[in-house]
Amino acid sequence: MKITDEVRISDNGFVFNSKTGDSFNVNPTGLELTKLIALGHDFDTIKNIFLEKYELDDLTFEKDFYEFCALIKYHQITSQEDPLDFK
Amino acid sequence: MDKLKYDKPSISKINAGMPSKFGLPVKQKIISEIEGIKVSALIEEYGSPLFVISENTIREVFAEAKRAFETRYPKVQFAWSYKTNYLDAVCSIYHDEGSWAEVVSGFEFEKALSNGVNGSQILFNGPDKSEADLIMAIENNACIHIDHFDELYLLIETSRKLQKKARVAIRVNLDAGIYPIWDRFGFNYENGDAWNAINRIMLAESLELIGLHTHIGTYIMAQTAYAIAASKLANLYIAIHRKFDYWLKYIDLGGGFASKNTLKGAYMPGSETCPSFDEYAEAISNALISSEIPHENLPILFLETGRALIDDAGYLLTTVIANKRLNNGRRSMVIDAGVNLLFTSFWYNLGVYPTRELGHAEESTIYGPLCMNIDVVRDAIVFPQVKTGEQLVIERVGAYNITQSMQFITYRPNVVLIDMEGKTHIIRKKENLETFKQAEENPKRKS
Repeated sequence: MKITDEVRISDNGFVFNSKTGDSFNVNPTGLELTKLIALGHDFDTIKNIFLEKYELDDLTFEKDFYEFCALIKYHQITSQEDPLDFK
Repeated sequence: MDKLKYDKPSISKINAGMPSKFGLPVKQKIISEIEGIKVSALIEEYGSPLFVISENTIREVFAEAKRAFETRYPKVQFAWSYKTNYLDAVCSIYHDEGSWAEVVSGFEFEKALSNGVNGSQILFNGPDKSEADLIMAIENNACIHIDHFDELYLLIETSRKLQKKARVAIRVNLDAGIYPIWDRFGFNYENGDAWNAINRIMLAESLELIGLHTHIGTYIMAQTAYAIAASKLANLYIAIHRKFDYWLKYIDLGGGFASKNTLKGAYMPGSETCPSFDEYAEAISNALISSEIPHENLPILFLETGRALIDDAGYLLTTVIANKRLNNGRRSMVIDAGVNLLFTSFWYNLGVYPTRELGHAEESTIYGPLCMNIDVVRDAIVFPQVKTGEQLVIERVGAYNITQSMQFITYRPNVVLIDMEGKTHIIRKKENLETFKQAEENPKRKS
């Protein structure tokens, strides 16, 4: 999963996708998550960062993470690096 | 180092130039308590889902309706519409406020009698009255509202057999400007059916015609329709006097006043668009008072309002079971109360509210817990993110939802009344396996 090249993310939570023309607002945790995904971190790394920083349990994070990923994928903010995800 | 408070990550698409229909973001309404009792405390004590009825609201709304009519018309009598909500505790409050009973079946008739209503203060409507029902009605001196000719002849036969006069009215269907016209009940005004029925009744020695009744429809948002209906019934009332030199006792305009719920597809909320009791009262009273009926012979005005009187008093407390993302990215959630308990969700966009301030809101679909595709409580509602176990309140469910609730795959929940002192009482117990076993027989097991 990677952030598509056409997507720009501002530091105040504004996301613009020049491919679709759509723009979005993300909340602070959504912004942080998007940026960590953009940096190429995997799930476990991101989870550890969040668990260390926030009052949060691992299952809640896992549910929210995958839901958020499904949403940004639906909005074409991310795409799968390898269509088969087969490494 | 202290950890930071976590907010669920969220993303919302910006739709430039597309404000909501009111132009501004909607502030989320919160219902954390009912009549001063915390929703969480009610659920903890009585379980979820849970119907809650407020006696205070019942009495307040009733007083408002009564005032609206009694300040405009000299003789008004309300009759509580049993089918709207026939829990004994609810009916008793209306009877305590002075309401008669309006019933539509033998079962409801028996219920009214068991609630201590005098038979002569029961209005018996409905298209299905068996001979046994008619006997019960005649013997109790009820006002029988005849629906069709077959019933009229059965009633003549039954009252002859009993050698007792039956007090009757006819149900009239008419064009009040509401389409489609509800013409399946009663006798038609325009084509002369109603007049024929009146003439037949006046010739029957065993029947005493005392009133005229109409019920033009349900959730009628135009008070002018009632004015048309009242004028037409007033014409019949006068015509009967002219031909038979006889004044009837009453005109009954049925029910059908809209509650403040919002119909599906409505642009504005029902609370903004539905006529008030004052507006209905003004239209009806004006039509009757300005008719040809002399003031001293004005009929008693009966009203069988149900929905508009009790919808606001009923709440359904519910709990979130799950959150889901649908294929199209839309948020959805499953709650523990479905269309089996919320029959009115088929035509209303019921108000569903959280019990506390919650975060980011987005358009969501709310499903019930039934294993049925039709179990949709709200198909589109802007709703905050909630976790499983979050308690929600559905408001304005006092009318029809309890009487029309289905026992389907699960037990129907407790119904609790909050009385005038703020005390809670179970007025119908939650079902259990025994409830059903008592009524079932299994021939295989016997053999």
